[in-house]
Amino acid sequence: MTTYILRRIVQTLMVIVILSYVCFSLMTLMPGDPVELMISANPKITQEDVIRLRAFYGLDQPTYVRYFNWVGEIAKGDLGYSRTYRIPVTEMMGPSLQATFVLSMGSLIFSILVGIPLGIYCALKPNSKVDYIVNIFNFGGISIPSFFLGIVLIIIFSVVLGWLPAGGYQTTGMQYDNLFIELLDKAKYLILPIISLSVQSIGRFSRFSRSAMVEAMRNDFIRTARAKGMSEQVVIWKHGFRNALIPLITIVAISFSSVFSGALITESLFAYPGVGRLIYTSIIGNDFNVAMISFIISIAMVLIMNLVADLLYGAADPRISYK
Amino acid sequence: MSETVNTPPSATDLKSIETSQTFFQIVYSQFKEHTAAVIGAYLIVFFMLVAILAPAIEWATGTDSDSQNVFNRYKPPFTTVVAPQDVRENAIQTFIRTNPEEATKIQTALLAKNLVQPVRPEDALYDWVNLEKSKALETIQTIDTSKKAELIKMINNFQSFHLFGTDELGRDVLMRLVYGTRVSIGVGVLVAIASAVIGLIIGALAGYYGGIIDTVLMRVTDSLLSLPILPVLVVIAAIDLKKVLGGLVAVSQNLFGDAGGNLAQEFVNNIFSGGKESIYKLVFILCLFSWMTVARLIRGAILSLREREFILASKTLGATDYTIIVRHMFPNVVAPLLVSVTLGVGDSILFEAALSYLGLGIQPPMPSWGNMLFNAQELIYQAPFLAVLPGILIFLVVVSFNFLGDGLQDAIDPKTVRR
Repeated sequence: MTTYILRRIVQTLMVIVILSYVCFSLMTLMPGDPVELMISANPKITQEDVIRLRAFYGLDQPTYVRYFNWVGEIAKGDLGYSRTYRIPVTEMMGPSLQATFVLSMGSLIFSILVGIPLGIYCALKPNSKVDYIVNIFNFGGISIPSFFLGIVLIIIFSVVLGWLPAGGYQTTGMQYDNLFIELLDKAKYLILPIISLSVQSIGRFSRFSRSAMVEAMRNDFIRTARAKGMSEQVVIWKHGFRNALIPLITIVAISFSSVFSGALITESLFAYPGVGRLIYTSIIGNDFNVAMISFIISIAMVLIMNLVADLLYGAADPRISYK
Repeated sequence: MSETVNTPPSATDLKSIETSQTFFQIVYSQFKEHTAAVIGAYLIVFFMLVAILAPAIEWATGTDSDSQNVFNRYKPPFTTVVAPQDVRENAIQTFIRTNPEEATKIQTALLAKNLVQPVRPEDALYDWVNLEKSKALETIQTIDTSKKAELIKMINNFQSFHLFGTDELGRDVLMRLVYGTRVSIGVGVLVAIASAVIGLIIGALAGYYGGIIDTVLMRVTDSLLSLPILPVLVVIAAIDLKKVLGGLVAVSQNLFGDAGGNLAQEFVNNIFSGGKESIYKLVFILCLFSWMTVARLIRGAILSLREREFILASKTLGATDYTIIVRHMFPNVVAPLLVSVTLGVGDSILFEAALSYLGLGIQPPMPSWGNMLFNAQELIYQAPFLAVLPGILIFLVVVSFNFLGDGLQDAIDPKTVRR
């Protein structure tokens, strides 16, 4: 058990290190390093100046040397400055990580609460009308691009009806008298993003829990339980659902990654200040330091969540042994 | 005797009972049961036809997909746009200036046949250009000139009907959608097939050889699978293709001398000459991150095939690994691979749309459904229609591919529970 956990942690760390290097070298291939921006801002710049500036910023060195310099700076706790916002990267990461966490966790919980009961209901009444309709909706949910759904939701609820804000994080310039009002105000801004982010995972959860439940209810022990005269509730929840739960945990754990990834688009669409949007805007705006840090932190977050899910998996199913 | 006595089946019935159905006949009859999948298949065929016949549609409707007109931006659906007099006269003035001899010839012909009655003879062409569309076209058909096509196109542009209105540059939205079908479905199908080939090779190697090869390949596959795909795609899509290919040219110059360098340079120039570099880039990037599910699937299938008797038999007969994998194993994984490719097309179209929507995928002026959405969202309050149309098409195509994949899966493997 301990060796398994240690091996997984080392493996996760290795993936993070390799990715950070790959990402670093990719960034050198993006248009617009600091010196290129200076050249475009100042047409009178001479070739000697360019060489001097490149040496000054260390841009004349090979990628791996620059990578190790950068890692050294980070080890000292210096994450660098944002070129766009002129504030240290450390100050930017906290709030946006928190915002993304709220959004993706909210979406995940919402999809679990909607998707899994739907799936179980359909599994207990297979081939009924409800089952048929839910199946169509599941396919729709899986196939609809989240940004398109977001646009449609904005058109309906913000433009036409005017019920909900089209984007943002909280009402600008609002003074909160107490915590309750603050939460209420922020929740209003979360409704549309959470819906547009969740539709895909609702479809996936519902489809998956239906098949897992159908499979679980086919087992011989279900027939035995019924034959013993147990109530249908006990048969479904204690015998059927417990066994359907195991594949469900896997799919929920895998979904964290895709919800987090989808958050990038949702955040950009709704102007929600999370990490996904930070990655996108910093890459578009050549904000190198911010892009690197936010990318690596979000990848690390997803990988750690996967690790935790793997460990929980063993707790849910005693038949799984860690080798 | 009553009528319930079993009569022997007629010769034709007997034949249909006794002949065994082939695998694909069974799959086909199973597939037909799945109504949604059949509808999906028809929709896909329709969109494929639209994609293939895009130039024919453009020709038939007489609308130019590229012609821009800043005076006709954001026109609502079902609009007929008629150019005002000054626009027409400017156009004909430019025509006269660029082709003076041809213009004089047409002018004399117009006057000779008394098709227009200008106040002054030199106004003949100006009068003609202000005629109504059908009349002007009729007139020009009777005149013998080498510039006929150009003039017909000019007249066509002056009065155009826009079924879905016009976009932010005054282009016809319907034609943009038709050409967008080409790009979006093309990218989707290409990526799905290419990543299936990559996945097939990697999965087969890992499954067949096992051991260290399996461990390494599957570690890589799992690591890639666990990544949040969109941030990774955004980072990679933002790289500058010119810098990468510049590096490629330098490397080949070092390795193969000037000849290699020139060859690489020519290759690079070819990529950039067509204005299609964003498509190549996008296909490459999407392939990089969509082969993993296929690889896992194929590895699983090959692992179980490896233990089967017919593989053992061909091994004993001295077949090479290549023969065993390609001739004996691949035919057995075609069916699940087909399902996976079908589902993969839907995913690839979604990713293409997402990246183009973020402005990192297909670059304008080439239309794709994703970048049409990207352009439309600027004026979402004024022209919501523009944003809704490409989205509906993406949704329709993706849902069709998903239903088709589901139907194929049920038909190929009836044992699986419907998921």
